[in-house]
Amino acid sequence: MKKSVFAIFTALPLLFISQPSYAYLDPGTGAFLLQALLGGVAGILVVGRLYWAKIKGFFRRSPDKSSEPLEARSVDET
Amino acid sequence: MRPDPGSFRDPSARVYQNDGHIYRTMTPAAAEQFDAVRATGLLDELERDGWLVQTQDADPSKLDLPLENGGRVLEHERIPFISYYYEWSFSALKAAALLHLRTHLRALSKGITLKDATAYNVQFRGAQPVFIDLLSFTPYSEGAIWEGHRQFCEQFLNPLILRAILGVPHNAWCRGSMEGIDSGELSRLLPFRRKLDPKVLMHVTLLSRLQALGAGDRETTLENVSKAPVLPRDRFVRMLEKLEGWIEGLKPADIGKTVWADYECDNIYDSDERAVKHEFIARVAEQHKPGLLWDIGCNTGEFSETALKSGAGYAVGFDFDQNALDSAFARSRDKSLPLLPLFLDAANPSPNQGWNEQERGGYSSRICADCTLGLALVHHLAIGKNIPLRSVVQWLMGTAPLGVLEFVPKEDSMVRQMLALREDIFPDYTAENFESYIKEKGEIVETQQTSKSGRRLYLYKRR
Repeated sequence: MKKSVFAIFTALPLLFISQPSYAYLDPGTGAFLLQALLGGVAGILVVGRLYWAKIKGFFRRSPDKSSEPLEARSVDET
Repeated sequence: MRPDPGSFRDPSARVYQNDGHIYRTMTPAAAEQFDAVRATGLLDELERDGWLVQTQDADPSKLDLPLENGGRVLEHERIPFISYYYEWSFSALKAAALLHLRTHLRALSKGITLKDATAYNVQFRGAQPVFIDLLSFTPYSEGAIWEGHRQFCEQFLNPLILRAILGVPHNAWCRGSMEGIDSGELSRLLPFRRKLDPKVLMHVTLLSRLQALGAGDRETTLENVSKAPVLPRDRFVRMLEKLEGWIEGLKPADIGKTVWADYECDNIYDSDERAVKHEFIARVAEQHKPGLLWDIGCNTGEFSETALKSGAGYAVGFDFDQNALDSAFARSRDKSLPLLPLFLDAANPSPNQGWNEQERGGYSSRICADCTLGLALVHHLAIGKNIPLRSVVQWLMGTAPLGVLEFVPKEDSMVRQMLALREDIFPDYTAENFESYIKEKGEIVETQQTSKSGRRLYLYKRR
């Protein structure tokens, strides 16, 4: 249910899709999310969804792994 | 025609050099985008105001350049001396950051935005920063994010914060980490109460936290939204204006006397002796009219100023003392001098580095001076850093065919001070040896004593 609601939500802005940029530069997810937050409600919801996924992951992991710092985990899996 | 080894990140354009000329080739797609930008009049305005490097169209048929069908060539004004942000003083970096933001704001008012925010897109004419990457400009679509945000923080903001909040100069860090200071690393160094400042919280701490958050994205949330309009223009503009205001107010945290900052007022020369030194430099500049002068150990830039006023064309000052550099930069800016003060540790100059160790040329790859000044410098290297005197002389003479070097003898109070707590292991540190080392590679054209303690200037000409 969550996935389809979100899919509809993200489809709306896609209707106003911006021009593909000719940028060579990776803007970085941090900057993207920060600006999304500044941009308004849509951004807040995106960040919210990412944090929710992170929290779910935190509880899903087995107890002896849960003390690992999250940042180290993401780096390992890159 | 030599391709510039630093120009490869953006595949839509390349920079080439030949015989003193700088060219930029563009793919047809890039040319189309460039035309759209040019049509708004933005580029002409920026050029006229001195914010953007002078550019004109070039005729590809007369040049031997690899070009796609429909591609275009531009020729750029030549910047007298290329420098990199890890060689800039705090003031210079701040000026460059403000130029970038103000250029971006002007562009947005005409429906144009910048694709990136790298410090390597800014060069200097004297103390005036100038934007050099014309292809960074691109038409703006409503809602599009600021793609250069991360880069701006890493190459402009964070280095400035490092000095403004922590009192640590950015040069060593940024030379090593050429692409900038990572926000996460900086955040970990900042004291907790500093992170409570909302500006720091947003652009340093939050930025790095969100980066980590996004890196953990396993459900392609980001992929689904990254093509959508994200940031309305008015908020974008406000964000840039707030950054501009913040950076305007930044000052080094460690302002206070460093070793040589008050050199101008409080040193061993009395004003007559100083006048003799100025006269000597002025005469040399008048007679030889060097197009490009290097002032190694420029301190606050007073002798560069004299040389420029007497006929030198452009001066690059080098010094190790941060406050002296900022003073020299202020002098250059306030008096509109063609003087660019840069950070240099003479015992450890910038090396060739970056991709293939060629992307950013080192100090010796940029040696091109007509005349060098090495005033009140030799003893700091020979005695202060234990570098053999002969080696110091050869290094200095290698920078230009003509130059003025100052020898400071052991009787001088400065050298006595340096040797006060040390054993004198410098038996060959004498004026006679100094002169013979100069004569190994050149002639001593003129010499003059400048202080009661026996300081002496030598005008050399390389053979």
